[in-house]
Amino acid sequence: MKKLMSFTADYIRYILKGGMKFYAWMGFLAILSSIALYGFYVQNTEGLIVTGLTSQIHDGLYFANLVFLVGVAAGAVTIVFPAYVHHHKAMHEVTVLGEMLAISAVCMVMLFVFAHMGRPERLWHMIPYIGIYNLPGSMLGWDVLVLIGYLLLNFVCGFYFLYVKYSGGTINKKFFMPLIYISIVWALSIHTVTAFLISTLVARPMWFHSVMPIRFIVTAFAAGPCLIILAFLTIRKNTKLWIQDEAINLLSLIITWCLGIALFLTLSEVVVELYARTEHANGLYYLMFGLHGLTRLVPWFWGSLIAMIIAFVMFLIPSIRTNYKLLPIACVLGFGGIWVEKGMGLVVPGFIPTPIGEVTEYYPTMIEIMMTIGLWAIGFFLLTILLKGAIGILLGEVRYGGAEKSIDVASSGKTAAYESR
Amino acid sequence: MKKIASKILILAFCCGMIPSAFPADEVTCFESRKGASEVVQRDLKPGLPNVKCSPKTGAVLWWGDPFDGTIPLGDMPLMGNIPPGKAVVKPRSEKLAILPLCGTACHNGIIPAALPKDKKPIPIPTMEGLLPDAKNLQHGRGGLWCLDCHHATQRNKLVNNFGDPISFDQPQLLCGKCHGDKLRDWRDGIHGKRIGEWASTGKKRWFVCTECHNPHNVQDGIRNRGFIQIEPESPPQLPKGMKNAKHELVPGVN
Amino acid sequence: MAHKKTPLADPEKKQPSESLALAASAEPLAACKTTTSRRDFLKAGGMLGISSLMGTGALMAQSDDARAAVEWAETFQGNYRLMTPQEKAEARARLEKRYSAEYGKKVTVDGTEAQPNVLMGYALNVRKCIGCRRCVKACVAENNQSRGSDPGQRIEWIQVLKMERGEFSKEKMNQGYPEGLGIQVGGNAYSPAGTVLEGQYYYEPAAVPEKDSTYMPIACMQCEKPPCVKVCPVRTTYREPDGPVVIDYNWCIGCRMCMGACPYWARRFNLTTPVLPKEEMNPVTHYLGNRPRMRGVVEKCHWCLQRTRQGRYPACVEVCPVGARKFGNLLDPESEVSLILARKNVFRLKAELNTFPKFFYFYD
Repeated sequence: MKKLMSFTADYIRYILKGGMKFYAWMGFLAILSSIALYGFYVQNTEGLIVTGLTSQIHDGLYFANLVFLVGVAAGAVTIVFPAYVHHHKAMHEVTVLGEMLAISAVCMVMLFVFAHMGRPERLWHMIPYIGIYNLPGSMLGWDVLVLIGYLLLNFVCGFYFLYVKYSGGTINKKFFMPLIYISIVWALSIHTVTAFLISTLVARPMWFHSVMPIRFIVTAFAAGPCLIILAFLTIRKNTKLWIQDEAINLLSLIITWCLGIALFLTLSEVVVELYARTEHANGLYYLMFGLHGLTRLVPWFWGSLIAMIIAFVMFLIPSIRTNYKLLPIACVLGFGGIWVEKGMGLVVPGFIPTPIGEVTEYYPTMIEIMMTIGLWAIGFFLLTILLKGAIGILLGEVRYGGAEKSIDVASSGKTAAYESR
Repeated sequence: MKKIASKILILAFCCGMIPSAFPADEVTCFESRKGASEVVQRDLKPGLPNVKCSPKTGAVLWWGDPFDGTIPLGDMPLMGNIPPGKAVVKPRSEKLAILPLCGTACHNGIIPAALPKDKKPIPIPTMEGLLPDAKNLQHGRGGLWCLDCHHATQRNKLVNNFGDPISFDQPQLLCGKCHGDKLRDWRDGIHGKRIGEWASTGKKRWFVCTECHNPHNVQDGIRNRGFIQIEPESPPQLPKGMKNAKHELVPGVN
Repeated sequence: MAHKKTPLADPEKKQPSESLALAASAEPLAACKTTTSRRDFLKAGGMLGISSLMGTGALMAQSDDARAAVEWAETFQGNYRLMTPQEKAEARARLEKRYSAEYGKKVTVDGTEAQPNVLMGYALNVRKCIGCRRCVKACVAENNQSRGSDPGQRIEWIQVLKMERGEFSKEKMNQGYPEGLGIQVGGNAYSPAGTVLEGQYYYEPAAVPEKDSTYMPIACMQCEKPPCVKVCPVRTTYREPDGPVVIDYNWCIGCRMCMGACPYWARRFNLTTPVLPKEEMNPVTHYLGNRPRMRGVVEKCHWCLQRTRQGRYPACVEVCPVGARKFGNLLDPESEVSLILARKNVFRLKAELNTFPKFFYFYD
């Protein structure tokens, strides 16, 4: 118990240490987060009418981000799986960072769920026995279950690992390894269930096909590692934790494959839908070319497609893939492209036209956009804290009984810029 | 009972005919045919209006009491069993109170003794004054004329094939003569309109033929739909994100 | 922030452990620390707590004293279906009190249950509909929907689709593609010829029915196998034993899965607090029916439960000026709807989706 308390205290203390850059970053995120809190207030008093949602298009920016972030959370498995199943040494060193990312991504998902719901204060209605929990019928019920389970799994696995490292003990493999294996499979399940959430809706022909789950998985395994690579490169630059090249290279290899498959799936969807050009393809047609002269999403689709293709080509060429100056660009392009294509580019056209043929458009309002930015800021805030704490423990700077070795306690987190070793 | 009700209705009808004597906030709307089925809005009980009217078209949107102002349907021979009291209609005979005046106002108190010798239509100025299209009756495509439906002497009655009078409250006995399949469907509730209780043994107010169809104009020129066109209610509200609905007019799918 | 002035910011690497002591005495950042530590340790439940408190706080902040106690009890009431009859009566009494105070008239919230041997059904004659939209407006007059002028405030449960007949034209005969070698797609394809499936909802002519147009109103089909019921995570929407699919508005969490699942676009969302003027409010309500809703919940047609459970036709059936709408008991062979099913050419919309609607369309 005492160890746990000191773990908590040392963890917090470590997080709070940081230089100008760190606090500037956190302060910036805090300001953006406060916008989200204001947004929550407005939505809970005035209602969702402050967003651009309508009865026709009733899932917008929030749901898009929610779906995308479940993918990012699932993408953490691209670290865990090689580390523990293939015993990839470089990945093994940084597995816990992936778990931290998963935790913060799932938290962001939950935040977006709150932003998306009409009555978030009624979520207790889903708790079994107090309320009603509709399993096995409701996919959303399953989704909540797997997300909470994934959060708990990552929390337990990650913090158990960190606690053990902190207190200098050894990991109890009998307890730990089954959880790891479960979390690997569970990561796949969270995103598959999220895909089922929309792919089982017969009313939405744009989503109602079996390509949806695999498409979700591959785009998740492309977008998640993009973010992870960017985080790793930032960590290399700003902290003393050195993440091996092999880890980053493995991630970029995974991205290459998954981005390629994702593009292939997009291509196959386009071919199948547009070959016969039935009314069921209207949603996709709206996204690609516009319907009835309404073309709001068309530039976004083509932009994201070009971004993904450029990213894929960049990833494909080994000399670019291993060039850590160009790699971030490819990651940003890939992340952004998938964010558009899987987020707004998947969610909004699913509602256009409505199941009875009404074509309307949607644009997010300023509150919606600021709220989204604010919620991402909260997520990054959390991510920074979690990563920083994990890095501190990994480096040995946070130890039970004081910092070990002669590694300086100074400048952890995102403070000064180090040159790489 | 019927006489009292009809007298009250005459009074109500006459009152309804003099709107200028009443305060301007009296709302009148029409139940089915504009000009032939007007109702004045009033409170049956505090807070319960008898009808709710549409501000845009003046049509009745909602009945507080579906049986307000109705009388029993009356016997319909050869038409199956309807439990007594379960079928009511809104009487129209009382609205025809002006017709008994015909004899005194136009024929100087004497109903002409001479009846038409044959069934060929002859122009009669007063009849044409009542119905401008009498020579080009928009019903039957030149195969019908006034006395095919109206009783020759009892002008407040309709007539059947045997020359017996039919009340204006039971026009289905006349209309059903030619429109048998519609009559069958109307009797079963498939054609036409009923308000009241949905149970098959429930009490309903049946809308008779002439409450919806104008027998003098069913063709409406070349439209031939059985009704004239009416003004529609307003379209739904445009959702956020749409400035107008013009995109709906852009044809088809590309 | 004391940190900035310490040697911590010095890029030099070697620092003694004195900085640990410094860190321990460091001033926390104002808001960040509290929320930081809460998030750390309340990850799973913290978000729930914050938002729940905020939501409740917003609720409390808005109500005046008279409604506060009632709203508190209402906020924490359970699911209606699982209540005992006494709890149900209490819930309805609470609502009557609240509505009567809000709308300044005596409001009744009925709770009549389903009658035995009744399965409600509906039939609509598509040959007769003239697109006058009176059913839409009658429904609104009866069912206390939100009405207001800002986009998203006006809710109507019925939508009328206008489909125009197009023309097959001679000019387009040779306009297909590719030309020559046998035209693969005729010139009259993809153009308004025959009938246009992509119809209009916002038509606004001077008179209806317009030439060459047919109309089809669409509202909740009250399916026997409702996709909306299956996806609801809290089972707030369900199929009542006598047929209609209903929503317990106090239980709905506003996740809108049901709206995504419905193939007929029957459900509407209250984006804001409903705008319902006192004079227009219909005080005769049913708990599962037309009682005034609140922001953030889903609503839809329920076949006027407040009327049909008392034996009366729904408002749309009564108002239709051409008698296109028929309603009755599907289990009663003498009812209008059963006779229509027996005699007329009947079809269901999107029957291939196996939703088994009890709302039939027919023509004669």
